[in-house]
Amino acid sequence: MTTTLPESYLMMVIAVIIMTNDHPIGASLNQGASLGARFKMLLRLHKLEGKRGFKEIFDNPVSNFMTVLVIAIALALPAGLQIMLDNGKNLSQSWDGASRISLYLTIGLSDSETNQLADKIRQNLAVEKIDVILPEQALADFSNHSGFADAIAELDKNPLPPTLVIQPSAKFSTPEESEKLLAEYKKLPNVEKAQLDLDWVRKLYALLQLAEKAASALGFALGLAVLLIVGNTIRLSVQNRREEIEVVKLVGATDAFIRRPFLYTGFWYGLFAGLLCWVILETSLIWLQDPIADLAGLYQSQFRVNGLNFTQSFQLIGISCGLGLLGSWLSVGRHIRNIEPR
Amino acid sequence: MIQFAQVSKRYPNGQDALRNVNFEIASGEMAFLTGHSGAGKSTLLKLICLMERATSGQVIINGKNLNKVKRRKIPAVRRDIGMIFQDHRLLFDRSVFDNVALPLMIAGYEHREIGRRVRAALDKVGLLSKEKSTPIMLSGGEQQRVGIARAVVNKPPLLLADEPTGNLDPELSAEIMKLFEQFNQVGVSLLIASHDLSLLAQMHYRTLVMKEGRLVQDQTDETLNFEDDNDSTRIISDDGYSGDHYD
Repeated sequence: MTTTLPESYLMMVIAVIIMTNDHPIGASLNQGASLGARFKMLLRLHKLEGKRGFKEIFDNPVSNFMTVLVIAIALALPAGLQIMLDNGKNLSQSWDGASRISLYLTIGLSDSETNQLADKIRQNLAVEKIDVILPEQALADFSNHSGFADAIAELDKNPLPPTLVIQPSAKFSTPEESEKLLAEYKKLPNVEKAQLDLDWVRKLYALLQLAEKAASALGFALGLAVLLIVGNTIRLSVQNRREEIEVVKLVGATDAFIRRPFLYTGFWYGLFAGLLCWVILETSLIWLQDPIADLAGLYQSQFRVNGLNFTQSFQLIGISCGLGLLGSWLSVGRHIRNIEPR
Repeated sequence: MIQFAQVSKRYPNGQDALRNVNFEIASGEMAFLTGHSGAGKSTLLKLICLMERATSGQVIINGKNLNKVKRRKIPAVRRDIGMIFQDHRLLFDRSVFDNVALPLMIAGYEHREIGRRVRAALDKVGLLSKEKSTPIMLSGGEQQRVGIARAVVNKPPLLLADEPTGNLDPELSAEIMKLFEQFNQVGVSLLIASHDLSLLAQMHYRTLVMKEGRLVQDQTDETLNFEDDNDSTRIISDDGYSGDHYD
């Protein structure tokens, strides 16, 4: 999901760039500039219009900043959610594949009996690895980690059962197979309780998948909103320059020629919004970093929130530029068509 | 260069702007188009540059039948026609140079070539020193000359002017007309719409007179008499076709 969505956006950006030049400037009928000269002029025009659009954004800084800010926020919401999801997945993936089964044996079972049972289970093809945790070792570990060492020392009898921790082979790690194994192990003698570990990780994972779908839907809706915002801004810009468009049409400009500066404006909106969105996300993460580290510390975890890496930052800005360009392209073609010189 | 054959134009509101207009202007010819306001002069010019389309009849410009020009091809037609407007239609947020350069940029000329041609056009209209000014800093006559420079910079074979001297005093008007004559001398065809009769009287060029959408006179001398046109006025057309029955 995370790789295909930005890629499709990137394809869209390239498509839009091609679209902007669908009608290369045609030569006049009576005098033709050579093809090479025309291409050079086209590049020059792009540079010129790009610069002009850039300057125009700063001609009207307040309202343009508002537009850029709205787009940035609209992008920051789904992008922020995506970051959270990616981090959540990291968290769950570190336990994934560890669909371990714990068998708690009868209390007071002798060490040799425990090892016998372990050996018996080990012969099963489904088992990748089996750890035997004897009651003494378990108690030592518990007193080390729990901070109840003093209280445990007072106990006259070890309350912990011997435990077998089974790691099924990859083939038997799927939810269905693990459940079958679990049922089998439950029937073994001396097994008091069999438990599929980290069941909740699976639940979290399922929840994350649901949230990812929701994030995609949100991203789609907000992407559409960005298109509308850019489209509307460009529509107003076209209306403001109605007179200019009429004049340019009268001296023989093609629609592509007239469209170009507006497409650049849309592109610049997208670029600035993408950069601003990136700043918003990174600032929020820095702001959240300490509380998250504190929280993780409480769970003895070294977990750190990962922000956007280089590729993701690039994708974010690319998507933003693409949306700006597409929004203005959708809007400008329609509105320019309606303006005819009188 | 310009050929109108039985051209009529009815606007969507039912107004008949042109009724069965026939005339031809040869390549390299300079002609005036006159008549009261509302007689159809502007409509006629608009048909030539495809700002409007004829309801019936054929408009042929430079051998091209405009009825067959698709919307996408309109810009190419307009690039071969230099247009001059009463209100100049300059872009006020750009310099004089950029205004004149516009048709060349659209046609995709090379940067150096644009500079050369723009300066030549500005020199022609006597505004070379003002290339860096914005149009707002110029007088009405100067603005009109910028408009003319823009119209000729692409060296189109045909120039159309709609009331080019409408806002100018007689002296400036005469200057503008002199410019037009100079363009005509190098082979450019011109059609100039004007209701400035005293100016036309001095010019001795072919004059087309319009009234209520009809071409009522087509004469090559200065004895304009469209004051006495009445029902008996003959309707002139190149093929001798009489449009009297047409209504």
